[in-house]
Amino acid sequence: MASVRISDLHKSFGKSAVLKGVSVDIADGDFVTLVGPSGCGKSTLLRMIAGLEDVGSGEIRIGDEVVNSVPPKERNIAMVFQNYALYPHMRVAQNMGFSLRLSREPRAEIATRVDRAAGILGLMPLLKRFPRQLSGGQRQRVAMGRAIVRDPRVFLFDEPLSNLDAQLRVKMRTEIKELHQRLKTTTIYVTHDQIEAMTMADRIVVMRDGLIEQVGGPLELYDRPENMFVAGFIGSPSMNFIPGELTGDGAFRSKAGALFALGRTAQRAGPAVLGIRPEDIGRPGASGGVPLPLAVRVIEPTGAEVQVIGSFEESEVVAVLKGRDAPKPGETVTLAFDPAKTHLFAPDSGARLH
Amino acid sequence: MAALAERHPGLAAWFGYIRRIPWLAFLLLYTIVTGGPFVWVALMSLRTTNEILDAPYALPSPAHWGKFAEAWTASKYGVYFWNSLIVVGCAVVLLTLIGAMAAHALARFQFRGRKALRLAILSGMMVPPQLLILSLFQILLQFGLYNTLAGLVLAYVATQLAMTIYILEGFFAQLPQDLFDAARMDGYSDFEIFWKITLPIGMPAIATTVVLNFIILWNEFLFAIVLLTDDDKRTLPLGIMHFMGAHQLDIGMIATGLMISIAPIIVLYACFSEIMIKGMTAGAVR
Repeated sequence: MASVRISDLHKSFGKSAVLKGVSVDIADGDFVTLVGPSGCGKSTLLRMIAGLEDVGSGEIRIGDEVVNSVPPKERNIAMVFQNYALYPHMRVAQNMGFSLRLSREPRAEIATRVDRAAGILGLMPLLKRFPRQLSGGQRQRVAMGRAIVRDPRVFLFDEPLSNLDAQLRVKMRTEIKELHQRLKTTTIYVTHDQIEAMTMADRIVVMRDGLIEQVGGPLELYDRPENMFVAGFIGSPSMNFIPGELTGDGAFRSKAGALFALGRTAQRAGPAVLGIRPEDIGRPGASGGVPLPLAVRVIEPTGAEVQVIGSFEESEVVAVLKGRDAPKPGETVTLAFDPAKTHLFAPDSGARLH
Repeated sequence: MAALAERHPGLAAWFGYIRRIPWLAFLLLYTIVTGGPFVWVALMSLRTTNEILDAPYALPSPAHWGKFAEAWTASKYGVYFWNSLIVVGCAVVLLTLIGAMAAHALARFQFRGRKALRLAILSGMMVPPQLLILSLFQILLQFGLYNTLAGLVLAYVATQLAMTIYILEGFFAQLPQDLFDAARMDGYSDFEIFWKITLPIGMPAIATTVVLNFIILWNEFLFAIVLLTDDDKRTLPLGIMHFMGAHQLDIGMIATGLMISIAPIIVLYACFSEIMIKGMTAGAVR
């Protein structure tokens, strides 16, 4: 096990800069997810840590060692790929023990370690099969087994669940998290799925356009997003944004003039964007809350709750309501939100207003 | 039709047969056109030339099996056969190795001038062999390779390399990059990745090129007749030609020689046709 320290990493492919100065510290034993939209540079960053891409400039440190020019196999890390990357002409056991065979470990040692990993992942009955004889979930488990067998300092996962169906994805998510709790190996996990990032990670690194937007624990990112991008990216459905201005006396006025008493007296007057999470909007209850009129357009019931998609002035607003007595499309209903749970952002930079 | 099938299943089945008649007729005709000459040659290979001239389409009675032994020894088909086997065997081995390496490099590595190199190699497919023959003749003469089996092997490799690379590159390019990244992380060098990952996984495509090259080169005539002069160095197609004199034609012996010549191709195709079709259509459906 080892910590990973990335300092001011740059990378370009031809003229396009993919990473523009990324720095992040990953503590020993941490489970960190790199999350962001496609093209944000998260996979490139992972591949650079793996040694599959050259470092443009900056430094990657695994443990105490700078690994910028260390070949992949000598970094003592293991990677699980999106397409499993199992050798189709080798059986499961051979696939798992392959790297050990290359590093000329004794045969008995290879067998012991393969058996141990297979035991952990429940792969014992499949050891003699070829990858083509396995289901998607089993293949992914073999790919993980291959990583475990190496007993690496760091595990790297590159969108490992993208090729699985929704049900299996949830199951494998739990398995990977359980595995990390058991092995406590430093893990870096790339995904574009923020739910995966939220549910699995100790810490999340949100990236966009080759830069880190915010690093923090899942709930920290959810509760205190540093900017509108993170606020919109983390959480599903996304946070609602209503443009307007702060009046200076603690209230927020929307573009069309609706006034919301937020009680934010500390904030100066000026243009702002009000952010409200869909789950913080509910039916007006006895405890009050700030009323929010909504012209309902679409209703999406999920069983446990109902997503109400509607319009407030020119903004689309989504509310998640508990229970089943949902409003009907075409109606205008008055919902309410808790002013203490709202977020305010600067409209130009998108930065959080503290 | 569905209602008819429910009420009169027998009648519906008959309709099915009748509808298929044109298709069956076409298949029958096609089989006769393609298989007929083959059967005819096979029958002639067991008859003497005089018998054939008397009745061209008759069945062999008695069958002269001894003609095969005679062709092999007295008519030197044995020598021609081994020459063919050596030349084609060496050429196919070289083609497969060089072609696979080039295809792997073109499919896997991004390097400066890759596209230009690829175009240069593949444009080789567009040049008709007749155009090359004069320059090849001169080059081989200069290097002392004219009228040698080695010279013919090199000429064959040169002419078939473009097509081999074309087929293999298409297949190799479809192998997922993750596989090669995983191999690098496992500690394989670039050459080991080629040797132990690309080659075994690319076997269907490689088998396709092996069979294809074998068939094409086994029947090759033009280069062989221009680049070889000694009787002892002739390949099978030239050997058969030997029996076509200006004034006489030993049809019986030619037919026997043709059967000797065709046999390896049939065996090869019978063994590898399935894997070859797989290789040809690989990637069409995921």
